[in-house]
Amino acid sequence: MTLPAWSYTRGPRRLAAAGLLLLVLGGCATPQLQEIIDDRPAGLAPSASVAGVPFYPQEDYQCGPAALAMTLNAAGAALTVQELVPQVWLPGRKGSLQVEMVAAARSHGFLALELHPSLADLLRELSAGHPVIVLQNLGLDWYPVWHYSVAIGYDLDAGRIALRSGRAQLEDLPLTTFEHTWARSGRWAMLALRPGSLPATAVADEYLGAAVQLESGGQLQAARSAYTAGLERWPDALVALMGLGNIAYASGQLADAEAAFRRAAAAHPDSVAALNNLAQTLYDRGRVKEARSTARRAAGIGGRLQPAARHTLELIEAHTTRPVAAPNWR
Amino acid sequence: MQTTQRIIARMLIVSLAWAGMPATAVHAALIPTDQVAAGRASPATSRDRVHAFLARADVRAEMERNGVDPQAADARVAALSDAEVDVLAGKLDSLPAGGDFGGIVGAAVFIFLVLLITDLLGLTKVFSFTRPIK
Repeated sequence: MTLPAWSYTRGPRRLAAAGLLLLVLGGCATPQLQEIIDDRPAGLAPSASVAGVPFYPQEDYQCGPAALAMTLNAAGAALTVQELVPQVWLPGRKGSLQVEMVAAARSHGFLALELHPSLADLLRELSAGHPVIVLQNLGLDWYPVWHYSVAIGYDLDAGRIALRSGRAQLEDLPLTTFEHTWARSGRWAMLALRPGSLPATAVADEYLGAAVQLESGGQLQAARSAYTAGLERWPDALVALMGLGNIAYASGQLADAEAAFRRAAAAHPDSVAALNNLAQTLYDRGRVKEARSTARRAAGIGGRLQPAARHTLELIEAHTTRPVAAPNWR
Repeated sequence: MQTTQRIIARMLIVSLAWAGMPATAVHAALIPTDQVAAGRASPATSRDRVHAFLARADVRAEMERNGVDPQAADARVAALSDAEVDVLAGKLDSLPAGGDFGGIVGAAVFIFLVLLITDLLGLTKVFSFTRPIK
């Protein structure tokens, strides 16, 4: 029953406890830090410092809203901690849930993404100039003291990491200490970037998934920027092309929608969604013949989207076959 | 003469009706982006599972015992994004499942309440022994 509500520990707890003992005994290098020291990942700068991250000292226990405000404002927002409190703060628990931190960043139109539980990834993002919100457990595994702070820099040779934390504008921690406290939260970390910025460690599916959530939440401009940036790195990404097409269609820009769906269908000839949406857009633009043949292709592929494609085909055929029936009326 | 006019009128009606069709008649046939990602579980699945969990009589009883309005729980799930529902649904998988309820359901519901109700709604403070965030 020690399961913390805002953290789902991924690693073995005993290891973390053993890690703390090591820290107390002598501060030996922690596992992921040791890997980085032994074999520095290619492209990882020896040190980095993120500029332009404001500092708001937290009020009673409100490290979540404060960390979020610092990160979002660094990315171009103009929010106060007090504005964010009702969105992520839980009076009953005196804390903030991770899912709500992510959801709040997204609801303000920022690309919110959890990082992989990897120190190297965290440092890579800092190296790319992205502040990172981290969840630490400053206490023990069985006596947790949860804390959000914002990582803003590091120096591998000195073995230090710089944080905006609590009431400290600059907390300069040994990386070993940081990793111990971070490991006990399951190495939870998140980015909140201005849409159009690409995370340094982005994996296509996860990045595009975050962009889709922006779109689903009605942040169409933000989603459009995120999809466009994604296409620069993954030029054929189906989700990005479909997202751009769907946003253009929803905005009534049918020519742009057609171009995006065409590109999607060309790169993914077996995509039911690409063909289906292309057929619909062509139909809306009055190109009925091509719409019908495209809808037939979509409906013939199969898969879980087949019912939707068949529905589109039926609708198009129901209207385009009517003139054939017309002679009966005369 | 009248017959010719009638034929022309009918042809006009037919052709105008047809011309007007494409722009107005077919709607909502687009497949949304969140359905595109290949291999991803349908978001509805996770959502359905969470709602099904919340709808169970034993779960409802446990909620009411903790002073939580089950409808408020439903509303909060509806407000979460699909991914966040997935997190909760993933949590459900790790809970003990099976025929023998009693204490197990109590524990499962307890964890779930802490995750979903106590924390999200801030209605109660079930975990009196947890440490606050500094």
